[in-house]
Amino acid sequence: MITTITIFFPLVGALLMLLLRSADERTVRYAALSVAAVPLLLALYIYFAHGGSLDDPSLTQSFEWVGSLGIGYRVGLDGLGFGMFFLSALLTLIAVVASWDVSENLRQYFAILFVAELGVLGVFAAQDLILFYVFFEITLIPMYLLVGVWGDENRRRAATRFFIYTFFGSTVMLAGFLALGILSGPNFSMEVLGGGGAALSRAAQIAIAAPILFGLLIKVPAVPFHSWLLDVYVSSPISTNVLLSGVLPKLGTYGLIKIAIPLLPEGSQPFLPYLAAFGVANIIYGSFVAFMQPDLKALVAYSSIGTLGFILLGIASGNALGINGAVMQQVTHGLYSALLFILVGIVANRAGTRRIDELGGIAARMPWAGGLLALGALAAMGVPGLGVFVSEFMSIMGGFTAFPVQGVLAALGIVLGAMYLLYMLQRTIFGPIKLPALETAEDAEPIEMAAIVPLAALLVVLGVFPSLLINVQQPTVEIVLSAIGGS
Amino acid sequence: MVTAQTLVGLSPEIVAFLFSVLVLMVGVFRPGSPGFTAGLAAAGSLAAFAVTAVLLALRFEGSFFGDGYVVDDFALYFKLIVALSTFFAVLAAARWSGGTGDAPEYLNLLLTVALGSMLLVSMRDLFGVFVTIELATIPSYALVAFDRSRRESAEGGMKYLLTGMIASSVLLYGIVLVYGVAGSADLTEVARVFSGQLSPVALLGLVLLVSGVAFKVSAAPFHFWTPDAYQGAPTSAAAFLSVAPKAAFFAILLRILLEGMPGATPTWAAVIAVLAIVTMFVGNLFALRQRNVRRMLAYSSVAHSGYILAAFVALQGAGAQRAVQAVLIYSAAYAVMNLGAFFVIDLVGEDSKSYNGLFWTRPGVALSMALFMAALVGIPPLSGFWGKAWIILAGAQTGSTAAILAVAALVVNSVISVPYYFGILRNMFFEEAVTGAEEPKGTGAIKFSVYALAIATTLFGFFVGPLAALAETSGLL
Repeated sequence: MITTITIFFPLVGALLMLLLRSADERTVRYAALSVAAVPLLLALYIYFAHGGSLDDPSLTQSFEWVGSLGIGYRVGLDGLGFGMFFLSALLTLIAVVASWDVSENLRQYFAILFVAELGVLGVFAAQDLILFYVFFEITLIPMYLLVGVWGDENRRRAATRFFIYTFFGSTVMLAGFLALGILSGPNFSMEVLGGGGAALSRAAQIAIAAPILFGLLIKVPAVPFHSWLLDVYVSSPISTNVLLSGVLPKLGTYGLIKIAIPLLPEGSQPFLPYLAAFGVANIIYGSFVAFMQPDLKALVAYSSIGTLGFILLGIASGNALGINGAVMQQVTHGLYSALLFILVGIVANRAGTRRIDELGGIAARMPWAGGLLALGALAAMGVPGLGVFVSEFMSIMGGFTAFPVQGVLAALGIVLGAMYLLYMLQRTIFGPIKLPALETAEDAEPIEMAAIVPLAALLVVLGVFPSLLINVQQPTVEIVLSAIGGS
Repeated sequence: MVTAQTLVGLSPEIVAFLFSVLVLMVGVFRPGSPGFTAGLAAAGSLAAFAVTAVLLALRFEGSFFGDGYVVDDFALYFKLIVALSTFFAVLAAARWSGGTGDAPEYLNLLLTVALGSMLLVSMRDLFGVFVTIELATIPSYALVAFDRSRRESAEGGMKYLLTGMIASSVLLYGIVLVYGVAGSADLTEVARVFSGQLSPVALLGLVLLVSGVAFKVSAAPFHFWTPDAYQGAPTSAAAFLSVAPKAAFFAILLRILLEGMPGATPTWAAVIAVLAIVTMFVGNLFALRQRNVRRMLAYSSVAHSGYILAAFVALQGAGAQRAVQAVLIYSAAYAVMNLGAFFVIDLVGEDSKSYNGLFWTRPGVALSMALFMAALVGIPPLSGFWGKAWIILAGAQTGSTAAILAVAALVVNSVISVPYYFGILRNMFFEEAVTGAEEPKGTGAIKFSVYALAIATTLFGFFVGPLAALAETSGLL
């Protein structure tokens, strides 16, 4: 019951925003903050009360929807989804805090943001294929509107491309879901399918896994299906970036680890080497292209695509180390990319530009912002002591065990990542100040610090105590491993 | 022989007929009271709906007139869709038809089309099928041409009439050939002859019959009348024609194929697969080019006919039951979303530019339109999603090459359709509001319909379970 309440609570926020017609901006912001805090508090409560036993009956809920087809409203949390469930609630709150660049139609902005939150929370708690798909798609129109209404001058085109590409992917995926459900029973409960997924012949599993994997890889996006992404990342307002880069790609990777691999073990198995190769392609391609970006936001966007590759590699590995790393990397990637996007917004706000060659000396005038930018970049490189290191290391080790070539190439990717990120830091936060605007720039204000400090702190905490997350995900990872016959 | 049982079985149609006559009488004896007339017509359609619902709840079944007319769950279900669509069409027509001074005639035509459609879905005799199709079609020519203040209306009506006559003769020719081969127009008798390898004459009869119905449901390449007719027709008529009679035509096609030609399934499934795939592509590709929302929705209705036809391809093997469900669910889902989308035209306008910035000036109407557009695309959990999902389910379960191809075409076409449906969303949300656009007055009834349909579109997922259960007992398989 508490899971259902958490998922649907943002709806209250959306309605509240529509009702606050004559409220001033301050009231609207505080109301949105209070609403966004509730799912996060509930998620925290779940973590502290049930973190070790997420299969507790009080967290699951299930009733029939279309009985004759085995479609049901089934929600519950497990180790694969909990980290992202928590992160979605956290990043929505951060997005509300970081919405200083949205000034027009603020009520509508928050209302739409809350609908998106409902969708993502639902995805990470759904235990039924159809319900998963419903939540998966509910996020689509809100993100389309957030970018299309509040983005920069290129927003219309970016939003439309984003929608068409991801809708194409998800429709193909839906066909796979429907075929899987109808041929296994019919039944759409993930729990039942996980138990008896092997009932399908190997050929049938492969035929079903192909469209599901394809759809999910577009959503991630895996290189070469990423062409929709840069426009939408660059055009969207900063607070939308937080969800767009922090949570949305994980809808794809989570689908891989939660559905494609455990429910179709034999069907997805022939694709795993390619999945690892896609991961490596993301890492290498993302690094090279990020290197050449003149725009700081585009650099962060490509860096974000690149490090998604470690998740794909870890998932493909099919061993405990890799899968644990991938599941954790979903969270750490969300933390660091949200942090970097917000900092890009702060820097661009002060400097009036995002061009890397015009920036410089940020740390001199803005020690906090510059320092945290450095911290975010170090996290992205996978420097030990920060959460990303742990998850990337586990993904690479797991990937190396299963696919040595891909593992070595991924490790090479870390070096490439360090190169472009250090080069970026050198040109932006160090050196002389080139822009007059930066001569008098103020450091991050308290409200801005409130958006970035929690993310940086969590990165450090997870770097030092990764077991906080790994202990939660371990039991479910073992279930996945037993489904695919790995160890 | 007419017994009490017969009268009960025919009661929805009797109610519809009585009210259509009453509406005309009001025009004679109390001229100049359009509100009263519209109220009467609305009451008539609701009464027909209620009677049908009671029959369905009582699980009434019967076969009359020498098995030529059958009342079963399947027929009653489609009668419900027709009656409810009629109710909303009457509401949407009230203001406009009142303004023309010919409200009784217009509403009578609407009710007559409804009567024809309700009779049609019960027919088990091919000549009865022809007569009732004509009963549903002939008044619709007049409906399309009814708006004398616009040239397009007469033009659309004329085109519709001319092509419609040809289509009717094709249909009749097909029926006559089938009759000639089978020696009977009764579907049970037809089924005996139409199995296995068909003779050339029988095949020709089948193809002509399917083509005739394809014209009526505006499947490509028989769709050319659709954009002109829908653009010219009064909004309420276009909305109504794209939903109610069309659902009935699909229903009778389903009945003819399943009861009359079950032995020839591979043959007609192949014919319909081609028809379905061509129709989807034609509808969507032409819709992409439209700037006029009426024409866009007309081509969209062509595309959706293609989607429903894809379900027909899956009417074999393991997926047959699911395919019947798909047709039932899609018809209801399409009715709520498409009626709503058309009615918004009366509130906003037919030029896609008139939707600019609508969300910021009239959020209620804009959100409803956004829901209808998203539903037509197939975004869950809106009504259109369930329709499409069921077709994919049926196709996957049937597993024949034709069915898989049709489902793949449906997936691709759903994506092709995004730009034009979302063009409206884009205008409503992303563009600056049009200045000086004033809300038309006296649109309470239309607004009520739009909001009611928007809610039905959103909550459709809750009705899917019962609808699927109903389809399982429909008795067609």
